Amino acid sequence: MNGDRALRHWLAWGSVLVLVTVALISLRAATEQTYVPVTYLLVVLGGSASGGRKLGIALAIVSFLVIDYYLQTPYDHITVTKTVDLVTLAAFLVTAVVASTLLDAAQRDRDAAVRHAEEVTRLAAEHEQMARETEKVRALREGDRMKDFVLASVSHDLRTPLTAIKALAQDETRTGSSRATEIEEQVDRLTRMVADLLDLSRLRAGKWSFTPELNAAEDIVGAATRQCAALERSASIVTRLDESAPALYGTFDFVQTLRIIVNLLENALRFTPDGATVELEAHRKGPHLVFTVSDRGPGIAEAERERVFDAFYRPEGSIADRGRAGIGLAIARSLAAAQRGALTHHPRDGGGSVFELRVPAADVDERELGES
Amino acid sequence: MSAANCILVVDDEFQIRRALKNALREVAERVIEAESGAEGIDLAATQHPDLVVLDLGLPDMAGADVCREIRRFATMPIVVLSARHDEEDKVRLLSLGADDYVTKPFSTVELLARVKAQLRRARTQLSVPPETPIIAGDLSIDIARRVLMRGAQAVRLTPIEWNIVRALVLAAGRTLTHQQLFDAVWGREFGDPQRYLRVHITNLRRKIESSPSAPRFVVTEPGVGYRFELP
Repeated sequence: MNGDRALRHWLAWGSVLVLVTVALISLRAATEQTYVPVTYLLVVLGGSASGGRKLGIALAIVSFLVIDYYLQTPYDHITVTKTVDLVTLAAFLVTAVVASTLLDAAQRDRDAAVRHAEEVTRLAAEHEQMARETEKVRALREGDRMKDFVLASVSHDLRTPLTAIKALAQDETRTGSSRATEIEEQVDRLTRMVADLLDLSRLRAGKWSFTPELNAAEDIVGAATRQCAALERSASIVTRLDESAPALYGTFDFVQTLRIIVNLLENALRFTPDGATVELEAHRKGPHLVFTVSDRGPGIAEAERERVFDAFYRPEGSIADRGRAGIGLAIARSLAAAQRGALTHHPRDGGGSVFELRVPAADVDERELGES
Repeated sequence: MSAANCILVVDDEFQIRRALKNALREVAERVIEAESGAEGIDLAATQHPDLVVLDLGLPDMAGADVCREIRRFATMPIVVLSARHDEEDKVRLLSLGADDYVTKPFSTVELLARVKAQLRRARTQLSVPPETPIIAGDLSIDIARRVLMRGAQAVRLTPIEWNIVRALVLAAGRTLTHQQLFDAVWGREFGDPQRYLRVHITNLRRKIESSPSAPRFVVTEPGVGYRFELP
């Protein structure tokens, strides 16, 4: 594009130079010598101003040579002899340089102005894009907030009718109705789903409250097994804690950590075959207090080991009819992470799963207990 | 023989009242009903029920206010029905004077167990240190003489452990919130010692429970406090 334009300038001004020369040669006898340099000076000026420095200098040199050869006596000879010739050449060159410099400066200014204008347009477009995106994020966030609010209030409001149905069903059960027992089971299932939804809305809204405190491993182990006692129908929980060794302590939120362990125990009890045991164990490992829940269930295929921690994940071919939304482990993992802990899964030697929960361990100096 | 003479149910849902009434007939000769907070307070004052089952989601006033109002003139146990599951709510209710709570949807079997426990506790109210030792399983606790026996063995407790046992045993069957325990053991003292409540509980359990990680006497109410259970 630029090359084309430059070539056009060179051709145009070359033609002008040729035409001027032809004209002046044919008139050279009748023309006064002083018009000649002025005419060429105009050509050099025009060429430099429109075609740039190189064209200007080329025109200056060619003009000088043409004048010297064709238009100056003695004609048809190169004879740079007079001072006035050198002055003409110098004037041509200076004109070419000054004119082209002015041109360059003007071009730079123009280019800068164009770039500036482009920048302004680009910034305006960017700004508009950002505004659009901000609006989109705001709308999404508002949508999420509304969804969470609806989830929370719906699951809260559902509890009252659920309570009434459950109470009525239990009332009927007393008369020996087996259908009433089924109704009660379905109510319990629905209740768990509602609880899961409420948990999910809290998780998404980041509304878990944490109060990490000094807590004992055996305290939370006792609370967890007590809470799961009702579920120990076919499989039972065995706790492994060395109660003759000094007590193990950690800095963690009791309620949220309890939720994690109870969730792991519930899962393990559901997947463990009848008559088998689920083991809950606690030990100290460096800076961590570690709880493990081990089962003899079917275990988890390697490809699915991380995916079980995804919300709404269900292993392929699993029965969808478990009455859970499939978010328990996702919630458990984020509860662990939120208190500087971690929740991981490992295959168990001899079959089954081991879920390992780590929380920060704590050391207790008995002298600080305030017993003097 | 019924465990109670009269129980008051305060709930605005007719179906829940009817189901509760049927269930509570097992333990009470008479079950009276109120469908609003104002009516509940009225009946609690005029009928002198032995226990109140109070739903928190009432149309006319906040359940917490009903609880506080009843506590102005009566000491009978109040068992609260709550649709909320968070621990702060439970702590708030217990400090307002409720004795126990069940969260919706509850099983009537569970509610009955709680009601029976509260009626038993009310009959054997231990507001002053009793003269005779309290027997709980293999434990014999003599509050007045500060002697705790496990079987034939005397258990050595530290002063703080004693204060914890005393507070818990005097409120046996009722959950004491962490704050109520702090107040009972450390009084107005603030700061570090309270941080160690859980350590003292752990040490205490190791002295009096046969399995500290499956306690029979000192039971944890997660996020709320501790309760002494008389087996």
